[in-house]
Amino acid sequence: MSGDTILIVEDEVPMRRFLCSALASHGFRIVEASTLAQAERAATYARPDAVLLDLGMPDGDGLDLLKLLRARSSAPVIVLSARDREDEKVRALDSGADDYLTKPFGTSELLARIRVALRHSRGQAVTSDVVLTVGPIRIDQTRHEVTVSNQRVHLTPTEFRMLVFLARHAGKVLTHRQLLHEVWGPRNAHQTHYLRVHMAALRRKLEADPTRPRWLTTEPGVGYRLVDE
Amino acid sequence: MTRAYARAALAIGAATAIGIAIGDRITIADNAMLYVIAILVAALGGRGPSIAAAAMSVAAFDFFFVPPRYTFAVSDTRFIITFSVLLVVGFASGGVITRLRETAVRAKTEQLRNALLSSVSHDLRTPLAAITGMATTLRERTTDSVELDTIIGEARRLSALLTNLLAITKVEGGAAPRREWIPLEEILGPVLVRLDKELADHPVTTALPETLLAHVDPILFEQLLLNLLDNAAKHTPAGTAIELSAKREAAAAIVKIADRGPGLSADERAKVFDKFYRGPTSTPGAGLGLAVSRGIALAHGGTVEVSARDGGGTTFTVRIPDGEPVPDLEAEAE
Repeated sequence: MSGDTILIVEDEVPMRRFLCSALASHGFRIVEASTLAQAERAATYARPDAVLLDLGMPDGDGLDLLKLLRARSSAPVIVLSARDREDEKVRALDSGADDYLTKPFGTSELLARIRVALRHSRGQAVTSDVVLTVGPIRIDQTRHEVTVSNQRVHLTPTEFRMLVFLARHAGKVLTHRQLLHEVWGPRNAHQTHYLRVHMAALRRKLEADPTRPRWLTTEPGVGYRLVDE
Repeated sequence: MTRAYARAALAIGAATAIGIAIGDRITIADNAMLYVIAILVAALGGRGPSIAAAAMSVAAFDFFFVPPRYTFAVSDTRFIITFSVLLVVGFASGGVITRLRETAVRAKTEQLRNALLSSVSHDLRTPLAAITGMATTLRERTTDSVELDTIIGEARRLSALLTNLLAITKVEGGAAPRREWIPLEEILGPVLVRLDKELADHPVTTALPETLLAHVDPILFEQLLLNLLDNAAKHTPAGTAIELSAKREAAAAIVKIADRGPGLSADERAKVFDKFYRGPTSTPGAGLGLAVSRGIALAHGGTVEVSARDGGGTTFTVRIPDGEPVPDLEAEAE
């Protein structure tokens, strides 16, 4: 992880200073860009392992850069956004961003997101393994068996498909659209309430306290995440 | 203002002059129409000039054109109808113009206020993000620091205040909530996480029926619940329980948040939802939380009510009526 190059695309100087200082002290190499044009050049010459992208850049739409990065490399992109901009986050995630951070955020959140994103880009978590394990949850894909702390749990086929998709992307946020598309197919991509009701059922089966989920967390206005420690 | 009246007089004068100049080629009804045009021109100055123009046009029309001419006498009662029409045109068009103006001014004020608030909150948020970031970076390198913890905690409070300010601009700006069917516990989860610190000294018990659906804007409703729970935590002694329960009743979702605090007097209960009301205690806060909660409930066509609780304490009851029939989830059974 440390030694990896992170491209920081942020126009606000104090914010950029914070990101540089926090990441540099954990051994990352930093490349900075204060405009989208700079970022585009830096993405070519520095070959970053991950990108932090502020969506509100002064010289254009951050989403355009995101699409460009996606077309060129598989380096994960984490977007930086504000609390009341859920639509913006969803658009970025559906356009290929890997995760997001809501301003204000602290060092620990920043590092946690970068670590998950780097791990995913190395293909360690997106697996086709027969058995997936996240925390106390163990999923045997060939036998369609799920256990939580060695206790067998019975899931419906829909709940099972949801859990497998979440577990394959453990630690990463998945939008409502991505989940609906994967589990129900492209025709049902707007029936969010089915997804919500099935998620509630899944929580009741897997969580000790479904109102305070420890593993299947909600990202308000965006989607869900299966927490990976 | 005087210019508007002068323009009204001028318009009537012009209508009269034209009427006299081409009087032999037009009928008396056409003369009346000339005055209608003059009144509409005067109405651009608002209600007063419009009514004045109507009165002047009746007088001028009667004096110059209604036989016997050059007297105020009226030979034929049917001219009374013409007079009435002129007066009605004056009143009605003046009123419409005035209302249009007021709406335009209000829209402009609203627009300005929202633009100001959203730009202020953006401008505040950016330095706040840098402060939080830098303080947590420093905090990592120090073992124990009350100073840094205070900076981080206060930045967090400012950020919460901004969120409330933005929520109130949203609902008071008249933006319709983006309502979806959502299980209540899905909204409650992130609220309890966000209030982790505030609720540390208060056991929260929840009694929710399995998959209780509410038809709400998830982001706004999360803020509504957060403010009510935060309020309960702030105003009750450490160690006292907060109970949250919910049910569906008569096509509405009902959520109750009950505490065992000191309770509120009838007078306090009447004021508790007012913006910037902070109560008799010295609890820190801007006095926005409950006002925002009520604003969000109203935007959903619902209510938040406060009542004294049997055995001491306060109960807040939120009622959100469904905006559409509950979806049939069985139809999608696998």
